[in-house]
Amino acid sequence: MSQTIIKQHIPRDDLLASGHLACPGCAAPIAMNLVLKALGPETMVVLPACCWSIIAGPWPQSSLRVPLYHTAFETAAAVASGIKAGLQSRGDTETTVIAWAGDGGTFDIGLQALSGAAERNEDFIYFCYDNEAYMNTGIQRSSATPWGAWTTTTPTSDPEHQPKKDIMAIMAAHRIPYAATASVAYPVDLVQKVEKARTIRGTRFIHILAPCPPGWKTQNDETIDLARMAVERRIFPLLEVENGGEWRFTVDHPGGPVEPYLRRQARFRHLNEVQVEHIQREVDARWKILSNRVKHGT
Amino acid sequence: MSERDLTRPHETGRRIPPVAISETSTLVNQTGSWKYIMPRYQDGVAPCNAGCPVGIDIEGYMYLIGQGRLQDAADLLIRENPMPAVTGRVCHHPCEDSCNRASLDEAVAIHSVERRLGDMILAAPPPPAPERTRTETVAVIGSGPAGLSCACFLARFGYGVTVFEAAPEAGGMLRLGIPEYRLPRAILDRQIERIEAEGIEIRISTRIGTDVPWAVLDGFDAVFVAPGAHMGKDSRIEGAEGVPEIRPGLEFLKEVNAGGRPELGDHVIVVGGGNTAMDCARSALRLGADVTVLYRRTPREMPAIPQEARETKEEGVKFEFLAAPTAVEMEDGEFVGITCQRMELGPPDDSGRRRPVPIEGDVFSMKADTVLTAIGEDCDLSFLPDEVRTNWGLVEVEALGESTSAPVFAGGDAVDLPRSVADALGAGKRAAIGIDHYLRKEAGEDVGEVPLDDLRFAGGNVSAMRYAKDEDPIPREAPVNDVVTWDQMNPHHYRSVPRHEDHFHAGIDLRSAFGETNFGLSQKEAIEEAERCLNCGVCNRCELCLIFCPDMAISRREDGGFEIDMRYCKGCGLCAAECPRGAIVMTREGM
Repeated sequence: MSQTIIKQHIPRDDLLASGHLACPGCAAPIAMNLVLKALGPETMVVLPACCWSIIAGPWPQSSLRVPLYHTAFETAAAVASGIKAGLQSRGDTETTVIAWAGDGGTFDIGLQALSGAAERNEDFIYFCYDNEAYMNTGIQRSSATPWGAWTTTTPTSDPEHQPKKDIMAIMAAHRIPYAATASVAYPVDLVQKVEKARTIRGTRFIHILAPCPPGWKTQNDETIDLARMAVERRIFPLLEVENGGEWRFTVDHPGGPVEPYLRRQARFRHLNEVQVEHIQREVDARWKILSNRVKHGT
Repeated sequence: MSERDLTRPHETGRRIPPVAISETSTLVNQTGSWKYIMPRYQDGVAPCNAGCPVGIDIEGYMYLIGQGRLQDAADLLIRENPMPAVTGRVCHHPCEDSCNRASLDEAVAIHSVERRLGDMILAAPPPPAPERTRTETVAVIGSGPAGLSCACFLARFGYGVTVFEAAPEAGGMLRLGIPEYRLPRAILDRQIERIEAEGIEIRISTRIGTDVPWAVLDGFDAVFVAPGAHMGKDSRIEGAEGVPEIRPGLEFLKEVNAGGRPELGDHVIVVGGGNTAMDCARSALRLGADVTVLYRRTPREMPAIPQEARETKEEGVKFEFLAAPTAVEMEDGEFVGITCQRMELGPPDDSGRRRPVPIEGDVFSMKADTVLTAIGEDCDLSFLPDEVRTNWGLVEVEALGESTSAPVFAGGDAVDLPRSVADALGAGKRAAIGIDHYLRKEAGEDVGEVPLDDLRFAGGNVSAMRYAKDEDPIPREAPVNDVVTWDQMNPHHYRSVPRHEDHFHAGIDLRSAFGETNFGLSQKEAIEEAERCLNCGVCNRCELCLIFCPDMAISRREDGGFEIDMRYCKGCGLCAAECPRGAIVMTREGM
């Protein structure tokens, strides 16, 4: 990635201020900054309960330089629908409304509102920044927590034994015009997807993997490297789905063993070789399914 | 209300609205207090710079080309290397051996870029000669790369310089020893003209000790001795004495390089594995002979530049390894060939290479019309006064070329250094610094010691710009004099891009072709090649740190650099971990 690529493709101005309350090395503000760079100042953000409720700053502060509406856990998609309707009734068709929720507010608690809005094809972009557990409240498992991971509610004596929910398949099944996965380690890809989503009307969904140093038990400076490994080793492939049927990878996924990715995170430290092998098989199997979707369109 | 305004509605008595609205920014939170370690921009030294025997800021001129500043790049190059059009062609480019990019895909073709810039410089009119600011004059013996380098830097330092050259034309081994197909005479002539234009007088056909006595140098304030190594070593082939078919290779090269086309017969054997041997073999090939190189070790131990050896082989020269000539074979008083001893590799010798040992009884004959011996050259130092001490046929010198007898300095092949053009140029530069320092001291200036380690590129050769305290055209952030290694860089941000290889003559009959065989790269290709440079250790404003800082603590400065706002930096280290070129370090210093 040369300097010209970064400078040509990523807008310069930051719409996120310093002094926010994310932990050191957190991927969530990197993701928010990139998204707001791509969307520009004509943007409104709806925020259910999640880490970002804290990151945004306590009243009377806000770390965003665009309007931000804090709302209840299960309501992000409903409130985003309402704000968009309000803007439209006042003749504002330009402002982009986004919902910005964690994995808990998306995979679990907010799924009903999201499904309803997507089914009605409400006109907003829904972002899920996924740190794979309820990190803000103390690292409790969510349905986005991967198989085998330690959390405070899935201790090493009985670690997470459900696989991560396939949210992309759920969203694609709603046949929304645009859904994509993105990564903070691939900033140009992320910005291009957001810019593309902005030009589309209807419900758009973007799922961003957001490594969490305290929750994943990693070093603060490993965030980007882990996000990159997750993509390269096909744990979190980067793709787009248009109209629920056209699946497409957007970067190369060279593959490689998942073990180094797991071993660098203390949340997986308890896994034995058999368990690591199980995860490898799951990743390989899911990659095959995805590759088929890309090949055959569904 | 400004973002930095600390005023809070409830404190000022304003009515709190029914829905709580944040009116201030998080900028009031100085989250920088959380950190226990902090980042710092710190430019290091790229390994190419440290590996260059001349002491060129290679990474620097690559950076300038990357910024579209071609002329500035050429200026930076010529300030450290007075003959880039020559070195771009004939240097063995150890810079490329140390290039970090080799760990990613292939080393940057530095020599090709240097050659392009060098030719660009030659195409432009020379700048005015540097101002004569010193009253002292310096004599330089020998106009080879060491002599001309020393003379050029001394002229830039403000001295009057006279170069004494024994041959009828300047250039030393560049002209006498390097064949035209590697270094066209037109290029060499123009390069020397440009060096002369820096205000240097070259007296040709003036051999010290023969044409003029050593005493003629008394009129100068310092002397730099760089006569080169011109005496072929004895071949130790039994019965070779008085056999005209057995010739010193260097003598043959000089004849060919001066335009001679000696008769060699059909079969030529070249003895030796160094660059002189390769040059002899390829020159003999061009005279129509069938050529075999005889070398007593294996390809691994050959001292020749690998590329030269490869080209020699590609041109059709045959190699006979693990064989040494022992005796002349005569028939009816006519020379017919040589007896050779088969060798095998024994334990390593002092040079670290495995020593060849004869396999008893394994001898064979090789037919030949001419044998060219190229097993090394010695220096003729008989003209030197006794006070200038020599050791094993070389002048004893200190780091800056100081001989045992001030004000005599020495360099090039006449001192204990690898015998390369680049090493000679580097020695000339070091001696110019040594002479300037010596003369200033003699003039009563308080010059202290030369800060040699600081002048060197991370232990490599010295920088004339650093010595002269010239302004660096590249803004450096807190520079340190340490090499940046591949493991300090982040390979993930680079994509593999194939190296541009030089264009070679194809489909031409080499037998009779003494024209240049390597055409180098086009300007466009050279620029693309320069853009492959990773700028190891030096911030090139790629802005990845701005993208990956979770705390928006990094901002652009007006001068093009970046600044980290320590009030907000939480010390996560992502900028340092992701910096593609290792130009950010994490430190506890100053916390």
